[in-house]
Amino acid sequence: MIAMEVELAEVRDFLARHAPFDALPGAVLARLPRRCTLRYARRGTVVLDAGDHGDGLYLVRSGTVEVRDETGDLVDRAGTGGAFGMSSLLEHRPTRYRCTAVEDTLLLVLEPGAFDELCQAHPDFATFYAATHHARLSRAIHNLQRATTGSTALSTRVGDLVTRAPVTAALTATVGDAASAMSEAGVSSILVVEGDDLRGIVTDRDLRNRVLAAGLDRDRPVREIMTADPVTLTADALAFEALLEMVSRDIHHLPVVDDAGRPLGLVTTTDLVRLENANPVYLAAEIGGRSTLAGVVEEARSIPAALGQLLERDVSAADVARVATALGDAVRRRVVTLVEADLGPPPAAYSWVVLGSAAREEEGLSADQDHALVLGAAVDGAGEAWFAELAERVTTALEDAGWPRCQGGVMATNPRWRLTVEDWRRQFDRWSHEPDPDAVLHSAIFHDLRHLAGDRRLAEQVHGYSVSTASSLLLGHLSRQALSMRPPLGFFRGLVLERHGDHRDTLDIKRPISAVVQLARVHALRAGSPALSTRARLDAAAEARIIDPGTAADLLDALELMSYLRLHHQATQARLGHPPDNHVAPADLTERQRRHLKDAFEIVRSAQQHLSRHLPPGFE
Amino acid sequence: MRARLRFRRPRRREPEHYPPGPLRELAAAPPAGDHTPVAAVAFLALDVETTGLDPRTDHLLSVGWVPVVGREVVLAEACEITIRPPGEVDVGPSATFHRLTDDQLAEAAPLSEVLPRLLAALRGRVLLAHHAPLELGFLAEASLAAYGARPTVTAVDTLALQQRLLPDHDREVDGVLRLDAARRAYGLPRYTAHHALTDALAAGELFLAQVAELERRLGREVRLGDLSPAHSG
Repeated sequence: MIAMEVELAEVRDFLARHAPFDALPGAVLARLPRRCTLRYARRGTVVLDAGDHGDGLYLVRSGTVEVRDETGDLVDRAGTGGAFGMSSLLEHRPTRYRCTAVEDTLLLVLEPGAFDELCQAHPDFATFYAATHHARLSRAIHNLQRATTGSTALSTRVGDLVTRAPVTAALTATVGDAASAMSEAGVSSILVVEGDDLRGIVTDRDLRNRVLAAGLDRDRPVREIMTADPVTLTADALAFEALLEMVSRDIHHLPVVDDAGRPLGLVTTTDLVRLENANPVYLAAEIGGRSTLAGVVEEARSIPAALGQLLERDVSAADVARVATALGDAVRRRVVTLVEADLGPPPAAYSWVVLGSAAREEEGLSADQDHALVLGAAVDGAGEAWFAELAERVTTALEDAGWPRCQGGVMATNPRWRLTVEDWRRQFDRWSHEPDPDAVLHSAIFHDLRHLAGDRRLAEQVHGYSVSTASSLLLGHLSRQALSMRPPLGFFRGLVLERHGDHRDTLDIKRPISAVVQLARVHALRAGSPALSTRARLDAAAEARIIDPGTAADLLDALELMSYLRLHHQATQARLGHPPDNHVAPADLTERQRRHLKDAFEIVRSAQQHLSRHLPPGFE
Repeated sequence: MRARLRFRRPRRREPEHYPPGPLRELAAAPPAGDHTPVAAVAFLALDVETTGLDPRTDHLLSVGWVPVVGREVVLAEACEITIRPPGEVDVGPSATFHRLTDDQLAEAAPLSEVLPRLLAALRGRVLLAHHAPLELGFLAEASLAAYGARPTVTAVDTLALQQRLLPDHDREVDGVLRLDAARRAYGLPRYTAHHALTDALAAGELFLAQVAELERRLGREVRLGDLSPAHSG
C-alpha cells in the first residue's frame, strides 16, 4: 500500500494566512506542515531565553509572546501569526532575547533546515525575516540608548510639556480656598506662591491625607499642609530627567520654573506617560497585542494624538500619511482577526481589501471606511451569512474606533461588494466597457484596492486584472473626471479666487489634492502599472514615458505641500474638538504658504492641460 | 511501588500469548511505565471516523494519527487513511458528520491493510484520544476479527482528563467537555471538527495544554501515572 499524501489543512491554511508564508507557492506551502512541530507554553513560561540556541523558527499559532532584550525592555510582541527565534537562525549564534509567553500560547516550530531552504529559494521570505530581525535589533539598540540618553519622545524638553500657566494660591490662603481653586481649574495640584516666588505645592493626595484623614479644618492656612520648597526643574530639563525625579521620589507633580525660580507650570506623570504612548511604534505594538475588540478600540483612540506628535515634529505629510495608514492597518487587521476568531473558520478563503486613500497608503486624519471582500470561492447561504456577519462586526468595531461608515455604502457590509475573484473580474469588465457616470465613480474607487487580511493572492488577482482590463473608453472617462477638479487661480484680498472670477471665503483643499490623485491614477493605468500610491504611480508613469519626469516630480511637490497644509489644518481642528474638514481659510495661511499654494495650483493646472491634449478619440 | 504497579495492570498479556503478527509485535514493545515523566513518554494521538458509535455493528471509515513526543506534536509523522467498509455497507446518515462519501470510500484501502499500520504506529506508544473508549472499542473489535485477540494498549483519555481538571461546578454544564469547548478553555485555535487527522491533531494540542495545566497544579513534573492511563489487552 502506498502512503498517501497527508494533508495538514489546518496548519497549511494558518501559514497561508500570514506573511511571509502567504506569498509562497501553494505546493511549497503544502509541504511545510510536515517540517513543523507544535508546542504549548502556559502564560509566564520562558520559551526561549537569551543564550539559548533556538531550534527553529517559532510561529505563534495562538496566544502572545513578548520578546525582551537583556535589560528587560520590550523589543517586540508576537501575536497570532507573529514569529521569533529568527535572530538565532539568521546569525547562527545564541539568541540575545528572552521570549516569554504572556498568554497561554500554542507554537508552531519550523525546523531550521526548512527555514534555510525557504530563505534560499524565496528571497522575499529571507528579506521579511531579515527585516523583522533588523527592526528588533534597532529597537533593542534604541532601548539601550534611551537608558543613557533618553528616547526621542523622552528627549522632549519639559518646557514643551507645560500646556497652561500654573494654578496658584497665595501663602496666606486657606486650605478651603486652595481646594476650591483646584476644583475650579480641574487640576490635581496647586502651587503655593509668595509674590513671584514658589513656596510649596499641594496635591490631591495632600488634601486626602493631611486634611480629610487628619480631620483638619478647611479654614487652616494652606502653608500647614503644603510640601514646602518642592523639587523643581527648569524649562530646558529633559522629560527624561523629570521621569527620573518622579520615580526616585515617588511624586507625580513637578513644578517647572524659569531661571529666576518663578513658576512656569507643572509637569505630571500623566504628561510623561502620554508622551511615551504617543510614539507610533509603541502604539502599533499595543494595538497588535490587544485580544479584545474593546481593547483595540481603546488603543485606536490614541492614533490622532500620535499623528499630532509627528506633525509637531514637522514630519513630511507623505510620512504622516504612511504612518496613519500603518496604524489604521494595525487596527483593521486586528479587528478582522479577532472577529474571525470569534466566528470560527471561514467558509471559504477570502481577502479583506481596503479601498481609496487607505489602499494608496495616503490616509489622513479624516478617512472614512472603504472596504470590500474578495472570496476565493462561491459560498452557500450559510457561507454568505458568515461573511455578512464578519463585515457587519468589523465595520461596527471600526466605527467605534473612529472611522465613520462610508456614506456611499462602499463597504463589505454591502453584498454588492462581497464577490468572488471571477465576479470581481466581470464587474471590472462591465465598468471598463459600459462606463456610465456611476461606473466611472466606482471604478475610480475600486482601482485603489489593497489587500489587508486573509489570502493576499485573491486581492492581487483582482487588482492585477482591474489594471489589465481598463479600456481606452474607461481611461477617457477617468481623464475627464481628473480634469473636472479645477484648482483655484490663487488668492485675492484674503479670498480664494476661482477660475471664473468667483470669490470664496475658504479654500476646499481636497479638490486640488484629488486632482493630483486622479491624474496619477489615470497615468498609471495608461502605463499598465498596478502601483497604488500616488508617488509610485507617478514614478511608474514617468518611467513608461507617459509623463515627463519633471512633471511627475512637480506634482509630488505640489501634493506634499497641499497635504501638509491639510493635515495641519485638520490637526488644529482635532485639538479644538471640531470634526476635521477640508475648508482652509486663507487668513490662516502665511503669505509664504499662499504663494507656494498658488504655484502648486499652477502645477496641477498645467498637468491637467497636458492630459486634455492627450485624450483618446471622442473625449477632446 | 512494584506491588502497586502489578495491581494496576493485572490483565497485561505477555507477547508469547499472541500468535506471531502485529499483536505480538505490539505487546513486545510496551510503552513507558506509569512513573515515567510525560516528556519521556511517546504518545500517539488518534481519532477515528465511523458509521456509528457501536464498535460491534458499526464500521471504521477513516483513521488519523499524529505522535506526541517530548511534549511536541510531531507533524512529520502525521498520517490519515480512509478505509473501505466491507461489502454493501454504505455510510448512511453518518456522512453529515465526517463528510466522507461512498464514492470516496470505494477508492480506499480495506481495513485488513490499514489495521497493521495502525498497530505498528502504536508500538512503544501510549494511545491518546478524546473519549478514548470509542477508539479502543473499534481497535479491539477490528483486532478480534482479524487476529482473534484484543491488542495490548495503554491509553490516556483527554476527555476524562478534562473532567478532572475542571472545577466541580463546571462539570455539569452541557458541552464543556466536547473537544472544541475543551480547547477553547486553553485558548487553542478553532478547527473544523469531524475530520480524523484534524481531530487527532486537536486532541494532541489539547493534551499539551492539559499537561501544562496539571504541572502547574501539581507543582512538579507530570508522570504518566498522573494521567490515569487505562491498560487493556
